[in-house]
Amino acid sequence: MGVIELDGLQVRLGGKPVLNGLTGQLRGNAIGLLGPNGAGKSTLINTLLGFHTPCAGAARVFGLDSRSERVQIRERIGYMPENDSFIGNMSGVRFVRYMAELAGLPPAVALEHAHEALFFVGLGEVRYRKISTYSLGMKQLIKLAQALAHGPRLLILDEPTNGLDPMARQRMIHTLREIRKTGSIRLLISSHLLRDIDEICDEVLILKQGRIAAISNIEQERRSHRNFIEIETTGETATFCDALRALGCECASFRGGRLKLVMPDSIDVRELYVAAGEHGVEIRGIHRRRDSLEDIFLRAMDMDPARGEFVRI
Amino acid sequence: MSVFRQEYRAYEGRVTPRWSRIGVLVRYGLAEAWSSRVTVGLFTLAMLPALVDLVAIYLANNPLARMMVSSGKSFPLTIDATFFLRVLSAQCWLALVLNAWVAPRLVSFDLADNALPIVLSHPVSRFGYVLGKFLSLFAILSLVTWVPCLLLFAYQAYTSPQGWLSANVQIGFGLIVGSLSWIALVAMIGLALSSWVKWRMVATGVVFAAVFVPAGVGGVITGILRTRWGFLLNVPVMMTEVWQRLLGAPTVMKDETDLPTGAIAAILAAAVAICIAMLNARIRALEVVRG
Repeated sequence: MGVIELDGLQVRLGGKPVLNGLTGQLRGNAIGLLGPNGAGKSTLINTLLGFHTPCAGAARVFGLDSRSERVQIRERIGYMPENDSFIGNMSGVRFVRYMAELAGLPPAVALEHAHEALFFVGLGEVRYRKISTYSLGMKQLIKLAQALAHGPRLLILDEPTNGLDPMARQRMIHTLREIRKTGSIRLLISSHLLRDIDEICDEVLILKQGRIAAISNIEQERRSHRNFIEIETTGETATFCDALRALGCECASFRGGRLKLVMPDSIDVRELYVAAGEHGVEIRGIHRRRDSLEDIFLRAMDMDPARGEFVRI
Repeated sequence: MSVFRQEYRAYEGRVTPRWSRIGVLVRYGLAEAWSSRVTVGLFTLAMLPALVDLVAIYLANNPLARMMVSSGKSFPLTIDATFFLRVLSAQCWLALVLNAWVAPRLVSFDLADNALPIVLSHPVSRFGYVLGKFLSLFAILSLVTWVPCLLLFAYQAYTSPQGWLSANVQIGFGLIVGSLSWIALVAMIGLALSSWVKWRMVATGVVFAAVFVPAGVGGVITGILRTRWGFLLNVPVMMTEVWQRLLGAPTVMKDETDLPTGAIAAILAAAVAICIAMLNARIRALEVVRG
């Protein structure tokens, strides 16, 4: 069973189609939701939460239908919205405890978890302060703490690094990676920042104009390009290329002494230097190339999902 | 388990029943309301008339005390439906003041900081949210309306000669129904208006305005068109009529204000329906802009 299953999902808001027949299954531990503004990322999240009702098709979270089983879904998720959303008049710990109790934790357990969650996200020292006095970064973290406090199975984060300075952003990314490492909580992160998704997620869903432009397993992508190497050399490359082929590499040479190789797993980079030395070639630089998330995203943006084109990797 | 534990896991322990989540909203609503000193002050103020009435019932039923107070003359106070109508009216109008202060505290804080997306992402429906807030208000307003009224009624039944209770059961019934209908009306008005006005102090003013401005408009209609139907916009007049009929008290208003019970019930139901529509439009996790 996938974390999220979309089956011809259509959502109309104010009479306009916003999500248009999304179909796919997401199984990753950390799923990134990418797309330009207005692509339908937040609408998809709100549909999963049961805030919007699909006009056709279905969306399922852990096999539960977002239309008919929204209460059960909400019991299993923690949600961190994009915009400010808190009760400024409450202290941090009281707010997080309140939300944990609403999620179903008994009062004493909720209080214990509230303290834990606040320490976990780094707000332990300010947990008795009113939320209205928090900085922007702290307000982002309190939203994360309340989403975590009841120990959800899926954490939905809408633009978690929005408005954070570089230090705070790095801390947020670190925290999310820590959560991912535990393995018991899945993440769904919506962002327009490729770098954030690249650093945290192992699967990505790219939306464009309310349709799926790409579904990609970034982890697999990374693994498949592990041995794709570009080399800058000086000297005669023809015999060097032959030697590399003899070692089992696929090799293509370009002008300016540039070579592109796909190395088998059995070969170590050191052997390239040995072969280069034997054929009088100097290696001036080696670049391990990987198909970055940016490449995937740009390819997806070139597609026209309305005509059924999309990238599946 | 230490709060410094640096890992987080899905919670697999016992969870509370779903219906009890409304109780969480009620509990936090009550805590929010009572955290204000003004609430405590208004509550104390609302209990003062009940204390005075308690003394009055004591004096009316104690011959020795009555003799000392009236010094031989006849004691002017009779404990009957008219007395309880006065008690109920006083408590209900003080409840309106308390409601105007408390209702905005329950809703405006959530709306001011856009807390609804987070609150409603939990297993709580919009209806459950409003019900939780309503029950918080109901509990607070009960403490200053039907609870003291019924306690005074019980004390009167205890201290008066045998047979008073059986002859005046309607008063007890009227006190409960009259208070509950008033609480339902003012609580719905308070919640609905607070959901539309973000600023608490303004919301407090708007709650009073919603009760008294239509009364002025109704007065103008009555004056210009020379019709009694203008009083249907006059909440004080309407509710006095309702309480009077429920308690079986003699008429205290002029004849021209005598409105049909059905018309009053329809207007009160329409007011509550408008409040529900206002809450339905406002208490949402997200606002969809139609374009």
